[in-house]
Amino acid sequence: MAVCFSRGSWLYSPPTGAGPRPFFVTAMIELRNVTKIYPNGVRALNNVSLSIPAGDFVFLVGPSGAGKSTFLRILFREEIPTEGQVVVDGKDIVRMPEGRVPYLRRNLGIVLQDFQLLKRRTVAENVAFGLRVIGAAENVINARVQETLEQVGLSHKRRMFPDELSGGEQQRVCIARAVVNNPLILITDEPTGNLDPMISLEIVQLFLEINARGTTVIMATHNHHLVNKLRKRVIALVEGRIIKDEPGGTYAYE
Amino acid sequence: MGFDNLVFFASEALTNLRRAGVMTFVTVSTIAVALLLMGTFLLASMNMESFLARLQEEAMVTAFLVPGTASDRVSALKMQITAFDEVTEVTVVTPEAAARELFTDPADQKLLQVGLGEGTNPLPYTIRMKVRSSHDLQALVDKLKALPQVESVSYGEEAFRQFQGLSHLLWIGSLLVIVLLGLASLFIVYNTVRLTLFMRREEVIIMRLVGATNWFIRWPFVIEGFLHGLLGAAVAVVVLAVGTPFIMARLAALVPFFAFDPGAVALVKLSVKLCLMGVVLGVSGSLLCLRDLNAFGREM
Repeated sequence: MAVCFSRGSWLYSPPTGAGPRPFFVTAMIELRNVTKIYPNGVRALNNVSLSIPAGDFVFLVGPSGAGKSTFLRILFREEIPTEGQVVVDGKDIVRMPEGRVPYLRRNLGIVLQDFQLLKRRTVAENVAFGLRVIGAAENVINARVQETLEQVGLSHKRRMFPDELSGGEQQRVCIARAVVNNPLILITDEPTGNLDPMISLEIVQLFLEINARGTTVIMATHNHHLVNKLRKRVIALVEGRIIKDEPGGTYAYE
Repeated sequence: MGFDNLVFFASEALTNLRRAGVMTFVTVSTIAVALLLMGTFLLASMNMESFLARLQEEAMVTAFLVPGTASDRVSALKMQITAFDEVTEVTVVTPEAAARELFTDPADQKLLQVGLGEGTNPLPYTIRMKVRSSHDLQALVDKLKALPQVESVSYGEEAFRQFQGLSHLLWIGSLLVIVLLGLASLFIVYNTVRLTLFMRREEVIIMRLVGATNWFIRWPFVIEGFLHGLLGAAVAVVVLAVGTPFIMARLAALVPFFAFDPGAVALVKLSVKLCLMGVVLGVSGSLLCLRDLNAFGREM
């Protein structure tokens, strides 16, 4: 069972990553009998139950249309399950009022396959965006942006525009924007889908570093090389059902 | 809203206005034309009001006394009427003077004497007065009618009623024009904001992803709508300020009794009204468009 706790005023605390979790927190994410049926009748998730402890690194695998994206979208309340309960950081996010959703998302970092950067803004402005929209003070924004860009190895390109960067660099900017507010959970949907194997490895390396600071990472992927190489927990979804949930697993869902 | 946020919203709104150059121009022009027309109608109504007020103020109220009222009673009545607050000048017209006024031609006078006989005059005593303010007219007429010696009261009510009817018609017309133009401009502002929102949908999606509240997303658009309205109103006010004296001079040459100078205070009041209308139009157009931001997440 998830236990509710608060990280307090993270904005004004030194940015030291998600940090160590209190010993009494047993699960960061918990799904209980979650089913999602879209208005067109497609059953994207079918009675899914699972628990992901704080600080875990999880690969979500499965064929296209298996329900991976729906699963992730439910975690940041972009979709609401038709049935079941979803608890994130101790909060029942299915019953959460619409007005609280932005505050839930401030504790989540989200990275999607298409890079979703603002082309008219510089790298630094793109990363700062994640802090600006939550009303952080200018000095806090400057310090955190610098630190996060150093973390992803792009501080020297802070004044460049997204179009001047390679695909891997653009994705690193997205990751920087996702982690700049020091999230509890990093949710990534096919983040290496458009990248070559070498760059993909670099991106995952970055996720491992973020995970090592205490952030729970959930990564939906089709990249079996990465999954087999890292041997982290693997959850396989097929037709909306969990068919495998294996610590130190490999890429397999047949 | 903190100062940093305010600066961010304002700079976002200004950047937006600049980027959406043609659309900004179209919206501001539409609001300007609508407000200009509204302003013109309001001015015409003000003109009519002022004309009616002058008509009432300059109208001479005449009280016809009961025939055969003794002259000492007439003097007492004159004193009584002079004491009314609504009245400025009071004069008594004797039946003889009235007859002289009525039959100015000596031939007519002779004919009268022949017809009615020497020394007979059917005309009653009349008391004429000027009303202090057009607002007091009705009260004065009522007071006069209540006096037992007064048989009837005349103040050119037929012409006045006709003008008043015309004035009402103009007000209704102005109101209709204001409502229709308001709706048309609202529709255009709404569509412009929709287009800018569409142009910036990626930004809105990202804002929602990183935890921006709906109001944080709305503010730059609301400021943009506010600026659209204010700029449009400013253009309309400038055109009206330059155009009004010119049109009034032309009108004075054509219909001298109808033209008027609204005065600086009335023009300032009108300008403030137009600016308020512009801002309300701009902001409500934006808000109308930004009702449901949650739909943006479906595009992710």
